[in-house]
Amino acid sequence: MAAKFQTWWQGLRYRGGGTMVAWLLHRIGGLAMVIFVGMHVFASFLTQQFGSGFGTTLNIIYQSPYFQAPLYFFVIFHALNGFRIILLDTFPKLLEYQREVTWLQWMVFIPLYGLVVFFIIAGIVSGE
Amino acid sequence: MEIKVKILRFNPETDKRPHYQTFRVEAEPTDRVLDLLEKIKGYQDGSLAFRRSCAHGICGSDAMRINGMNRLACKTLVKDLSKGTITVEPLLGLSLIKDLIVDMDPFFEHYESVMPYLVNDEPPPLKERLQSPEERERFDDTTKCILCAACTTSCPSFWSNGRYVGPAAIVNAHRFIFDSRDRAGAERLRILSDQFGVYRCHTIFNCTLACPREIQITKAIGEIKRAIATGSLD
Repeated sequence: MAAKFQTWWQGLRYRGGGTMVAWLLHRIGGLAMVIFVGMHVFASFLTQQFGSGFGTTLNIIYQSPYFQAPLYFFVIFHALNGFRIILLDTFPKLLEYQREVTWLQWMVFIPLYGLVVFFIIAGIVSGE
Repeated sequence: MEIKVKILRFNPETDKRPHYQTFRVEAEPTDRVLDLLEKIKGYQDGSLAFRRSCAHGICGSDAMRINGMNRLACKTLVKDLSKGTITVEPLLGLSLIKDLIVDMDPFFEHYESVMPYLVNDEPPPLKERLQSPEERERFDDTTKCILCAACTTSCPSFWSNGRYVGPAAIVNAHRFIFDSRDRAGAERLRILSDQFGVYRCHTIFNCTLACPREIQITKAIGEIKRAIATGSLD
Protein backbone atom coordinates (compact mmCIF):
# COMPACT_ATOMS: atom_id res chain seq x y z
CA MET A 1 0.00 0.00 0.00
CA ALA A 2 1.28 3.46 -0.89
CA ALA A 3 2.26 5.69 2.02
CA LYS A 4 3.66 9.19 2.38
CA PHE A 5 7.01 9.47 4.13
CA GLN A 6 7.68 13.16 3.91
CA THR A 7 9.45 15.30 6.44
CA TRP A 8 10.42 18.96 6.73
CA TRP A 9 14.04 17.86 6.64
CA GLN A 10 13.61 16.18 3.23
CA GLY A 11 12.09 19.36 1.86
CA LEU A 12 14.89 21.53 3.26
CA ARG A 13 17.48 19.15 1.76
CA TYR A 14 16.05 19.64 -1.74
CA ARG A 15 18.66 21.43 -3.86
CA GLY A 16 16.50 24.17 -5.32
CA GLY A 17 19.28 26.76 -5.59
CA GLY A 18 19.42 30.46 -4.72
CA THR A 19 15.77 31.20 -5.38
CA MET A 20 14.64 28.51 -2.94
CA VAL A 21 16.99 29.97 -0.30
CA ALA A 22 15.48 33.41 -1.02
CA TRP A 23 11.98 31.97 -0.52
CA LEU A 24 13.02 30.35 2.78
CA LEU A 25 14.64 33.59 4.03
CA HIS A 26 11.50 35.48 2.99
CA ARG A 27 9.34 33.17 5.13
CA ILE A 28 11.73 33.30 8.11
CA GLY A 29 11.84 37.11 7.72
CA GLY A 30 8.06 37.29 7.88
CA LEU A 31 8.05 35.28 11.12
CA ALA A 32 10.88 37.42 12.56
CA MET A 33 8.82 40.57 11.96
CA VAL A 34 5.74 39.05 13.58
CA ILE A 35 7.85 38.18 16.65
CA PHE A 36 9.37 41.69 16.75
CA VAL A 37 6.06 43.53 16.40
CA GLY A 38 4.46 41.15 18.92
CA MET A 39 7.25 41.78 21.44
CA HIS A 40 7.04 45.52 20.84
CA VAL A 41 3.28 45.71 21.43
CA PHE A 42 3.48 43.37 24.44
CA ALA A 43 6.39 45.27 26.03
CA SER A 44 4.69 48.66 25.50
CA PHE A 45 1.46 47.32 27.00
CA LEU A 46 3.21 45.95 30.10
CA THR A 47 5.29 49.10 30.62
CA GLN A 48 2.44 51.59 30.14
CA GLN A 49 -0.28 49.72 32.03
CA PHE A 50 1.66 48.21 34.90
CA GLY A 51 5.08 49.89 34.82
CA SER A 52 6.33 46.33 34.64
CA GLY A 53 10.01 45.50 34.81
CA PHE A 54 9.38 42.60 32.43
CA GLY A 55 8.30 45.09 29.72
CA THR A 56 11.55 47.01 30.24
CA THR A 57 13.51 43.74 29.95
CA LEU A 58 11.79 42.96 26.61
CA ASN A 59 12.66 46.48 25.40
CA ILE A 60 16.30 45.93 26.32
CA ILE A 61 16.32 42.60 24.42
CA TYR A 62 14.91 43.91 21.15
CA GLN A 63 16.96 47.08 21.29
CA SER A 64 20.20 45.12 21.70
CA PRO A 65 22.48 44.94 18.63
CA TYR A 66 22.36 41.11 18.75
CA PHE A 67 18.61 41.25 18.16
CA GLN A 68 18.66 44.27 15.86
CA ALA A 69 21.33 42.93 13.45
CA PRO A 70 19.42 39.78 12.36
CA LEU A 71 16.13 41.68 12.49
CA TYR A 72 17.38 44.33 10.05
CA PHE A 73 18.74 41.52 7.86
CA PHE A 74 15.33 39.87 7.64
CA VAL A 75 13.34 43.11 7.30
CA ILE A 76 15.49 44.47 4.46
CA PHE A 77 15.68 41.08 2.74
CA HIS A 78 11.93 40.54 3.09
CA ALA A 79 11.19 43.97 1.60
CA LEU A 80 13.57 43.59 -1.35
CA ASN A 81 12.58 39.99 -2.07
CA GLY A 82 8.89 40.94 -1.90
CA PHE A 83 9.57 43.77 -4.36
CA ARG A 84 11.34 41.30 -6.70
CA ILE A 85 8.38 38.90 -6.59
CA ILE A 86 5.85 41.71 -7.21
CA LEU A 87 7.95 42.92 -10.14
CA LEU A 88 8.18 39.41 -11.65
CA ASP A 89 4.48 38.70 -11.10
CA THR A 90 3.48 42.01 -12.67
CA PHE A 91 5.77 41.65 -15.69
CA PRO A 92 6.01 37.88 -16.48
CA LYS A 93 8.41 38.63 -19.35
CA LEU A 94 11.03 39.48 -16.72
CA LEU A 95 10.80 35.89 -15.43
CA GLU A 96 13.19 34.89 -18.21
CA TYR A 97 15.78 37.07 -16.48
CA GLN A 98 15.02 35.90 -12.95
CA ARG A 99 18.66 34.96 -12.33
CA GLU A 100 19.79 38.50 -13.17
CA VAL A 101 16.97 40.02 -11.11
CA THR A 102 18.00 37.85 -8.14
CA TRP A 103 21.63 39.03 -8.44
CA LEU A 104 20.39 42.63 -8.67
CA GLN A 105 18.46 42.08 -5.45
CA TRP A 106 21.63 40.91 -3.66
CA MET A 107 23.58 43.84 -5.16
CA VAL A 108 21.12 46.26 -3.55
CA PHE A 109 20.84 44.25 -0.33
CA ILE A 110 24.55 43.87 0.48
CA PRO A 111 25.52 47.60 0.60
CA LEU A 112 22.24 48.49 2.30
CA TYR A 113 22.67 45.90 5.04
CA GLY A 114 26.38 46.72 5.21
CA LEU A 115 25.42 50.29 6.07
CA VAL A 116 23.10 49.07 8.82
CA VAL A 117 25.83 46.83 10.26
CA PHE A 118 28.24 49.78 10.13
CA PHE A 119 25.88 51.93 12.20
CA ILE A 120 25.23 49.09 14.67
CA ILE A 121 28.97 48.51 15.16
CA ALA A 122 29.57 52.27 15.40
CA GLY A 123 26.91 52.38 18.11
CA ILE A 124 28.61 49.57 20.04
CA VAL A 125 32.06 51.18 19.73
CA SER A 126 30.83 54.61 20.83
CA GLY A 127 28.95 52.98 23.71
CA GLU A 128 25.55 54.50 22.79
CA MET B 1 35.64 3.43 -12.29
CA GLU B 2 33.71 2.23 -9.26
CA ILE B 3 30.83 4.35 -8.05
CA LYS B 4 28.79 4.18 -4.88
CA VAL B 5 25.05 4.48 -5.48
CA LYS B 6 22.99 5.18 -2.36
CA ILE B 7 19.32 4.39 -2.94
CA LEU B 8 16.34 5.05 -0.68
CA ARG B 9 14.63 1.64 -0.48
CA PHE B 10 11.14 0.81 0.71
CA ASN B 11 9.32 -2.49 0.53
CA PRO B 12 5.75 -2.07 1.84
CA GLU B 13 5.59 -5.80 2.70
CA THR B 14 8.61 -5.81 5.01
CA ASP B 15 9.61 -2.21 5.89
CA LYS B 16 7.91 0.20 8.26
CA ARG B 17 9.94 3.14 6.95
CA PRO B 18 12.23 3.76 3.97
CA HIS B 19 15.96 3.16 4.49
CA TYR B 20 19.11 3.74 2.47
CA GLN B 21 21.08 0.95 0.81
CA THR B 22 24.43 1.52 -0.88
CA PHE B 23 25.61 -0.41 -3.95
CA ARG B 24 29.03 -0.38 -5.62
CA VAL B 25 28.83 -0.30 -9.41
CA GLU B 26 31.41 -0.25 -12.19
CA ALA B 27 30.56 2.68 -14.46
CA GLU B 28 31.88 4.88 -17.25
CA PRO B 29 31.68 8.69 -16.89
CA THR B 30 29.33 8.69 -19.87
CA ASP B 31 26.93 6.22 -18.27
CA ARG B 32 23.52 7.52 -17.29
CA VAL B 33 22.08 7.11 -13.79
CA LEU B 34 19.47 4.85 -15.41
CA ASP B 35 22.32 2.57 -16.59
CA LEU B 36 23.55 2.30 -12.99
CA LEU B 37 20.07 1.40 -11.76
CA GLU B 38 19.76 -1.22 -14.54
CA LYS B 39 23.13 -2.73 -13.53
CA ILE B 40 22.08 -2.91 -9.88
CA LYS B 41 18.73 -4.49 -10.76
CA GLY B 42 20.28 -6.87 -13.28
CA TYR B 43 23.35 -8.06 -11.38
CA GLN B 44 23.01 -7.21 -7.68
CA ASP B 45 19.43 -6.90 -6.48
CA GLY B 46 16.54 -7.84 -8.74
CA SER B 47 14.01 -6.54 -6.21
CA LEU B 48 14.97 -2.90 -6.85
CA ALA B 49 11.88 -1.15 -8.24
CA PHE B 50 11.89 1.91 -10.50
CA ARG B 51 9.94 3.13 -13.53
CA ARG B 52 11.54 3.41 -16.95
CA SER B 53 10.28 3.13 -20.49
CA CYS B 54 11.84 4.85 -23.50
CA ALA B 55 15.13 5.70 -21.72
CA HIS B 56 15.60 8.66 -24.07
CA GLY B 57 14.09 11.57 -22.15
CA ILE B 58 10.72 11.50 -23.87
CA CYS B 59 8.35 9.25 -21.91
CA GLY B 60 8.96 10.97 -18.56
CA SER B 61 8.82 7.71 -16.57
CA ASP B 62 12.09 7.87 -14.67
CA ALA B 63 11.94 11.21 -12.87
CA MET B 64 13.54 10.88 -9.43
CA ARG B 65 15.64 12.84 -6.96
CA ILE B 66 19.27 12.45 -7.96
CA ASN B 67 21.78 14.07 -5.60
CA GLY B 68 18.95 16.02 -3.99
CA MET B 69 17.35 17.43 -7.14
CA ASN B 70 14.60 16.17 -9.45
CA ARG B 71 16.00 14.89 -12.75
CA LEU B 72 15.36 12.18 -15.35
CA ALA B 73 17.63 9.19 -14.67
CA CYS B 74 17.96 8.63 -18.43
CA LYS B 75 19.21 12.19 -19.07
CA THR B 76 21.65 12.47 -16.16
CA LEU B 77 25.23 11.43 -16.87
CA VAL B 78 27.58 10.21 -14.16
CA LYS B 79 30.24 12.76 -15.21
CA ASP B 80 27.81 15.63 -14.63
CA LEU B 81 27.26 14.70 -10.99
CA SER B 82 29.61 15.61 -8.16
CA LYS B 83 32.34 13.06 -7.40
CA GLY B 84 31.72 10.41 -4.75
CA THR B 85 28.42 8.84 -3.87
CA ILE B 86 25.36 9.29 -6.08
CA THR B 87 22.18 9.48 -4.01
CA VAL B 88 18.94 8.39 -5.63
CA GLU B 89 15.59 8.98 -3.90
CA PRO B 90 11.93 8.93 -4.97
CA LEU B 91 10.03 12.12 -5.85
CA LEU B 92 8.71 14.16 -2.92
CA GLY B 93 5.06 15.02 -2.31
CA LEU B 94 3.58 11.78 -3.67
CA SER B 95 2.94 8.56 -1.79
CA LEU B 96 5.64 5.91 -1.98
CA ILE B 97 4.62 2.56 -3.50
CA LYS B 98 7.96 0.77 -3.60
CA ASP B 99 11.61 1.93 -3.72
CA LEU B 100 11.70 4.69 -6.37
CA ILE B 101 8.10 4.25 -7.52
CA VAL B 102 5.56 6.83 -6.35
CA ASP B 103 1.80 6.96 -6.76
CA MET B 104 1.23 9.24 -9.78
CA ASP B 105 -2.60 9.21 -9.52
CA PRO B 106 -2.92 12.59 -7.71
CA PHE B 107 -0.58 14.12 -10.27
CA PHE B 108 -2.70 12.95 -13.22
CA GLU B 109 -5.93 13.94 -11.46
CA HIS B 110 -4.63 17.52 -11.27
CA TYR B 111 -3.56 17.28 -14.91
CA GLU B 112 -7.05 16.17 -15.98
CA SER B 113 -8.70 18.92 -13.90
CA VAL B 114 -7.43 21.68 -16.23
CA MET B 115 -8.99 20.15 -19.38
CA PRO B 116 -5.73 19.44 -21.21
CA TYR B 117 -7.29 19.03 -24.65
CA LEU B 118 -8.48 21.31 -27.47
CA VAL B 119 -12.05 22.55 -27.02
CA ASN B 120 -13.70 24.07 -30.05
CA ASP B 121 -17.35 23.39 -30.93
CA GLU B 122 -17.36 25.69 -33.95
CA PRO B 123 -17.93 23.88 -37.29
CA PRO B 124 -14.51 22.92 -38.68
CA PRO B 125 -13.37 24.63 -41.90
CA LEU B 126 -12.94 22.60 -45.10
CA LYS B 127 -9.23 22.09 -44.41
CA GLU B 128 -7.47 22.58 -41.07
CA ARG B 129 -8.04 25.26 -38.40
CA LEU B 130 -5.38 27.73 -39.52
CA GLN B 131 -2.91 29.31 -37.15
CA SER B 132 -0.13 31.78 -37.92
CA PRO B 133 3.48 31.04 -36.89
CA GLU B 134 3.22 33.91 -34.38
CA GLU B 135 0.07 32.42 -32.82
CA ARG B 136 1.79 29.02 -32.60
CA GLU B 137 4.89 30.58 -31.07
CA ARG B 138 2.77 31.99 -28.23
CA PHE B 139 2.44 28.58 -26.54
CA ASP B 140 5.34 26.69 -28.15
CA ASP B 141 7.34 26.35 -24.93
CA THR B 142 4.58 24.63 -22.98
CA THR B 143 3.95 22.02 -25.71
CA LYS B 144 7.24 20.37 -24.69
CA CYS B 145 5.93 18.94 -21.39
CA ILE B 146 6.39 15.16 -21.02
CA LEU B 147 4.41 14.84 -17.75
CA CYS B 148 7.37 13.45 -15.79
CA ALA B 149 6.21 15.29 -12.60
CA ALA B 150 9.73 16.60 -11.89
CA CYS B 151 8.34 20.15 -11.64
CA THR B 152 5.27 19.47 -9.50
CA THR B 153 7.20 17.33 -7.02
CA SER B 154 9.97 19.94 -6.68
CA CYS B 155 7.47 22.58 -5.53
CA PRO B 156 7.34 23.36 -1.77
CA SER B 157 3.74 24.57 -2.20
CA PHE B 158 2.80 21.11 -3.52
CA TRP B 159 4.76 19.36 -0.73
CA SER B 160 2.79 21.29 1.88
CA ASN B 161 -0.61 20.85 0.23
CA GLY B 162 -1.25 18.11 -2.32
CA ARG B 163 -4.49 19.78 -3.42
CA TYR B 164 -2.48 22.47 -5.25
CA VAL B 165 -2.82 21.68 -8.98
CA GLY B 166 0.92 22.06 -9.39
CA PRO B 167 3.21 23.43 -12.11
CA ALA B 168 2.71 20.58 -14.62
CA ALA B 169 -1.07 21.00 -14.73
CA ILE B 170 -0.67 24.78 -15.10
CA VAL B 171 1.85 24.32 -17.92
CA ASN B 172 -0.61 22.08 -19.77
CA ALA B 173 -3.43 24.56 -19.17
CA HIS B 174 -1.17 27.30 -20.58
CA ARG B 175 -0.63 25.20 -23.70
CA PHE B 176 -4.37 25.45 -24.51
CA ILE B 177 -5.30 28.80 -22.93
CA PHE B 178 -2.95 30.61 -25.31
CA ASP B 179 -3.86 28.45 -28.34
CA SER B 180 -5.77 30.69 -30.78
CA ARG B 181 -7.90 27.71 -31.90
CA ASP B 182 -9.14 26.85 -28.41
CA ARG B 183 -12.40 28.23 -26.96
CA ALA B 184 -12.26 27.06 -23.33
CA GLY B 185 -9.57 29.47 -22.07
CA ALA B 186 -11.99 31.33 -19.80
CA GLU B 187 -13.12 28.05 -18.18
CA ARG B 188 -9.50 27.01 -17.56
CA LEU B 189 -8.68 30.42 -16.07
CA ARG B 190 -11.68 30.02 -13.77
CA ILE B 191 -10.38 26.62 -12.62
CA LEU B 192 -6.89 28.03 -12.04
CA SER B 193 -8.10 31.06 -10.09
CA ASP B 194 -9.40 28.65 -7.43
CA GLN B 195 -7.70 28.71 -4.00
CA PHE B 196 -5.63 25.67 -5.06
CA GLY B 197 -4.80 27.19 -8.44
CA VAL B 198 -2.03 29.50 -9.65
CA TYR B 199 -1.95 31.68 -6.54
CA ARG B 200 -0.39 28.83 -4.57
CA CYS B 201 2.73 29.51 -6.66
CA HIS B 202 5.20 31.61 -4.65
CA THR B 203 7.68 32.13 -7.52
CA ILE B 204 10.26 29.80 -5.96
CA PHE B 205 11.56 28.59 -9.38
CA ASN B 206 12.27 24.99 -8.29
CA CYS B 207 9.98 23.82 -11.12
CA THR B 208 11.87 25.74 -13.80
CA LEU B 209 15.22 24.42 -12.55
CA ALA B 210 13.94 20.83 -12.35
CA CYS B 211 12.27 20.66 -15.79
CA PRO B 212 14.25 18.25 -18.01
CA ARG B 213 12.70 19.93 -21.08
CA GLU B 214 13.85 23.38 -19.95
CA ILE B 215 10.33 24.82 -20.09
CA GLN B 216 10.06 28.30 -18.57
CA ILE B 217 7.43 27.04 -16.12
CA THR B 218 7.41 29.96 -13.71
CA LYS B 219 7.00 32.31 -16.67
CA ALA B 220 4.01 30.28 -17.92
CA ILE B 221 2.46 30.44 -14.43
CA GLY B 222 3.17 34.19 -14.32
CA GLU B 223 1.41 34.68 -17.66
CA ILE B 224 -1.65 32.85 -16.36
CA LYS B 225 -1.66 34.89 -13.14
CA ARG B 226 -1.55 38.03 -15.26
CA ALA B 227 -4.32 36.77 -17.56
CA ILE B 228 -6.55 36.10 -14.54
CA ALA B 229 -5.77 39.50 -13.02
CA THR B 230 -6.25 41.54 -16.21
CA GLY B 231 -8.84 39.37 -17.99
CA SER B 232 -6.71 39.60 -21.13
CA LEU B 233 -4.50 37.04 -22.90
CA ASP B 234 -2.26 39.73 -24.46
